[in-house]
Amino acid sequence: MKKKFNLFHPQYAARSWFVLFNSIFFILLMVIMIVPIIKIFADSMVNQTVYGLNLLPRGLDPETDQIVWFNTIAYKRILTDPQLYHPFLISVYTTLMTTFLGLLISTLGAYVLIQRDMPGVKLFGYMLLFTMIFNGGLIPTFLVMKKVGLLDSLWAVMIPTSMNVYNLVLMRSFFEGIPASLFEAAEIDGCTPLGIFWRIVLPLSKAALASIGLFFAVAAWSEYFHYVIYIKSSDKYNFQYKLRDLFQDKQDASEGTKINVNTLKSAAVIVSIIPFLFIYPFCQKYFMTGVTMGAVKE
Amino acid sequence: MAHNNDNMNFDHVVVNKPSVGQRMFKYRWFYFMFLPVAIILAIFYYWPMLGVRYAWSTYKLKQITLRTGPDYSIGWGNFERLMTSDPFHSAFKNTIILSFFNLVLATVCTVVIALLINEINHAWGKKIVQTVLYLPHFLSWVVAASIFMLILSAGTDATGADTSNTGFINAILLSVGIIDKPKDFLTESSSWRAVWYIMNRWKETGWGTIIYLAALSSISPDLYEAAEIDGANRLKQTWYITLPSLMNTILVVFILNLAKIMNIFESVFVLYNSLVYDVSDVIQTYTYRVGIVGNDYGYSTAIGLFKSVISLILVSASDIISKKIRGYGIV
Repeated sequence: MKKKFNLFHPQYAARSWFVLFNSIFFILLMVIMIVPIIKIFADSMVNQTVYGLNLLPRGLDPETDQIVWFNTIAYKRILTDPQLYHPFLISVYTTLMTTFLGLLISTLGAYVLIQRDMPGVKLFGYMLLFTMIFNGGLIPTFLVMKKVGLLDSLWAVMIPTSMNVYNLVLMRSFFEGIPASLFEAAEIDGCTPLGIFWRIVLPLSKAALASIGLFFAVAAWSEYFHYVIYIKSSDKYNFQYKLRDLFQDKQDASEGTKINVNTLKSAAVIVSIIPFLFIYPFCQKYFMTGVTMGAVKE
Repeated sequence: MAHNNDNMNFDHVVVNKPSVGQRMFKYRWFYFMFLPVAIILAIFYYWPMLGVRYAWSTYKLKQITLRTGPDYSIGWGNFERLMTSDPFHSAFKNTIILSFFNLVLATVCTVVIALLINEINHAWGKKIVQTVLYLPHFLSWVVAASIFMLILSAGTDATGADTSNTGFINAILLSVGIIDKPKDFLTESSSWRAVWYIMNRWKETGWGTIIYLAALSSISPDLYEAAEIDGANRLKQTWYITLPSLMNTILVVFILNLAKIMNIFESVFVLYNSLVYDVSDVIQTYTYRVGIVGNDYGYSTAIGLFKSVISLILVSASDIISKKIRGYGIV
């Protein structure tokens, strides 16, 4: 414990100044980090042509000529236009699927990799690690996808995202923390390998499942480039792709409506980050567990 | 208990290790469990490795129906072509410049901010600062680029038509009087890189501090107490105790990232445009344009292979350095 001291005692003058400046520095830094998001949020609720310095979700509605707070016209558009809400549903679907598949693959793989006496287990480990340092590259992978007929299929996006060697290795280091005596005891009691996996390994790794599951979910939700390469039909694009399309002005989604195009763009940005903003405050500790674990093990 | 154990002597018991066949039989179910991983590895990771042979071929997709297979008569032609290709030189140069400056900026910013976060004594304040600084890391590159495109907007859309949607930054600069007409930061070669560095720092600096904060929390408090008794002030303690203790972590993180410098891609891909290829085009984006957009599979495989080989060398070098610094490698 630190001894209690009066910060404003002359003896600590230098320290007090430092604390003051440090506080101001971090308040400014937080403002810089968060202002872009607040600005986008404000703009998404203002349907006027000139935004300028406005940081509040209030603005002149061109139709009624009145000041309106929280104008949700752009959000209504996103919720009612199939061209905009369908990609959102694709995002939800692929995120759920990828998280499930990713956890399945990494827990099964990790459970096998901790079997030290299993013949070939070292080879499996090296084969996994080798993919981290060398790969065929963009075009050969694309051509393989084409050969196996996964082009323009959502599996082409979900499978590569589910198979994440880093997460698998992370899961393995979590599993290595489970006492070996538990496995031995279960084996003596006649538990099958799959039974041990289901009844001992998984229930004891809830924190690991939560944090690695969140990694998969965030990665799947953010997925963009795989859609660019592998997906051709417009009904299979996810929300990130749609968002990017809006910003490249390939098509004007606000056409035929009275919505300003930047209001719609801002609203689309907010819609794509809202699911994350909801879970982030509650799940922060799980995100952290995974990283510090990885950092220590690395 | 202790003397009970002493009495137990198992030296005379000979345990035969089961043969490979017996062990394989014992672990038969585990092979089935590994099957999904093995299949995905084989198809999506090892099969494409065979495809690097296209680097020595002409392989173009002429039309959807009229397809030509790889033609291996050109030998090293693709590599000769890329060695003399201006766009490739530019992409290579940009990759190195962008990655390297970003890495240096990242190291400096992240270490300084981690040190300052560590000095926050207020538990709640610290938690709030960390929560806010970590947040942008979880936004996708598409979202990050979208946010930057909106706040940096000059009030014209991609076709150059006036939309009067002057972005936040331009509005600030205009009202302060630094500029007299909106500047389009993302279509000018002079400012694109700065925006890219700032976007990277905005997104990743906070998250990067975690590893340093973990290292800082493991420095023994005894060191600081001893220094205090010797009369060292906080600045001196930081200089003589904190920084040397962090040096190992800083080096390791730097090396880990140095191994990845050829890999920058998505952050550039979502922010660049054809007007700023000269400063923004990197190897991966060039590969994408030649291969996926231009359908020149042979040449783009060669570019990809060139990149992969450099990456492999960098990773191996980093692994060796890492083993020297901390006793174990990075992979």
